[in-house]
Amino acid sequence: MHSFDPVNFRGQFAFFQHNPGWVYLDNAATMHKPNVVVDAMAMFYQRHNSNVHRGAHTLSQHATRAFEQARDDIAAFINASAREQIIFCSGATAALNQIAFGLMHTVLKAGDRVLITALEHHANIVPWQIHCSKYGVILDIVPLTADYKVDQQAFTELLALKPKVVSFSHISNVLGHIQPVTQMVSQAKAAGALTVIDGAQGIVHDKVDVQSLDPDFYVWSGHKLYGPTGIGVLYGKTAALELLTPLFGGGEMISEVNFSHSLFNILPFRLEAGTPDIAGAIGLAAACNWLQSINNEQMKSYKSMLLKQFFAGLNKIDGLDILSSPVHNAGIVALNVQGEHPADVAELLNQQTVAVRGGQHCAMPFFSLLGLAGAVRFSFAPYNTEADVATSLHALTQAVEILTA
Amino acid sequence: MTLDQLLADTKPALSQIYAEDLPELTQAKDWQSKYRILMQLGRKLPPIPEKMKQPSLLVKGCESRAWLMHYYNQHQDQHFFVLDSEARIVKGLMAIMLSLVNGMSNTELKKFELAQAFDKLNLKPYLSQSRGSGLNAMMARIKDCCH
Repeated sequence: MHSFDPVNFRGQFAFFQHNPGWVYLDNAATMHKPNVVVDAMAMFYQRHNSNVHRGAHTLSQHATRAFEQARDDIAAFINASAREQIIFCSGATAALNQIAFGLMHTVLKAGDRVLITALEHHANIVPWQIHCSKYGVILDIVPLTADYKVDQQAFTELLALKPKVVSFSHISNVLGHIQPVTQMVSQAKAAGALTVIDGAQGIVHDKVDVQSLDPDFYVWSGHKLYGPTGIGVLYGKTAALELLTPLFGGGEMISEVNFSHSLFNILPFRLEAGTPDIAGAIGLAAACNWLQSINNEQMKSYKSMLLKQFFAGLNKIDGLDILSSPVHNAGIVALNVQGEHPADVAELLNQQTVAVRGGQHCAMPFFSLLGLAGAVRFSFAPYNTEADVATSLHALTQAVEILTA
Repeated sequence: MTLDQLLADTKPALSQIYAEDLPELTQAKDWQSKYRILMQLGRKLPPIPEKMKQPSLLVKGCESRAWLMHYYNQHQDQHFFVLDSEARIVKGLMAIMLSLVNGMSNTELKKFELAQAFDKLNLKPYLSQSRGSGLNAMMARIKDCCH
């Protein structure tokens, strides 16, 4: 394992050489891709491109081997106990839709309950709403505490209603707060529920070991973890995956088709209809292998040093409402300039080549609870620098000055 | 407050924006001054009172919410509008847009092209920057008022 060197790390991203003027603090939306990821994908297309699992010719066998190697690498990355527990899909949204749909026929029946939290991304709300309302399943929401954390007392109380499925995010995409996932998983399991974790932000921050965390499902998007867009992972325990009715039917996912019925293939293919994103899987595996070669604890402490500097700087700017807590924070700060719309703040930062997101961050229910139009979100990554922190603080000061002049 | 009053207050504000603020904006030296002017000019448009902001007036397609009200004077063949946005920069940009089209005849409004008009006034950078801000959605909604 290599030790983490911030300068060397940033140097591996061609994006920053092409965009030297920009301070990129929209990492929770998508991350940049290191050269190893781009190279692995280019290499596949230039030298090995063929369709997979149709091994009539040697080229297809090579492509299949590379694609299935990607599955092995990703299984190792999260310490899955078997390779077929890694299902490739287009991202966390697709994975959550597959899970919500797939459990409706097999696990969830009319009158059953599903439990989510008030801090979820739309991707962990809407699929449940769609399918719960269709099948008469009741959707319960864990409320938040005054400091915008999931109310653990209420969580315990709602578990007493015996939900069959409990689904929550590892880390909030709006606030950056790290949830007590280990405890929540074991509580939910003790209550007899299947557990689903939306790891879109979580896997970026923490090393995830699915065997020790032990959820039934853990899902994430490749593009938020230095990988390409269009690929993601639905991890599930084998028994949990067997419960899922396939959302998509088509090629690859069947073992026998006739016009009266079809027999489904075995895992993982049963849940991977159609030609997969082969290059995407290879790119994502390259990202995982590369990340695994770098000391994650050092990377985390560097990021938390940046975050600390940023919070210290924010305290010197008057007129801010800071929604995120600096404690148990994965590197995301949501804030508002008092009395101003986040879109205005974000645009004034954009004018100063500081890229942030202003709005509701796909968490409308959270913001309506707070009675806010949204927030400006600064999200940090280990390729950000102390200069990025200083520049963004200066830009925010300027924005406040212009808005309150 | 009635629509008539809002229309009556909006009209002179738009004339002033067109005659005074627009030339000032195109001549502003740095981005800070440009954005100060944009925000001031948004403030000149009378806000639509909360009670009047019916869901049907909401213009979709913006990060921030915006509302549009319309009145067509049949005798003189003129379209008049009132608009509001919760974001100040967006409201400023929308005010400029409105100052160009308010009072147009049905034929004029149908033919109006925002990109061309902004280009002529050297305002095109604002148009491209604010693609996500809903300016185009607002323009489409204004055009929907044509018959």
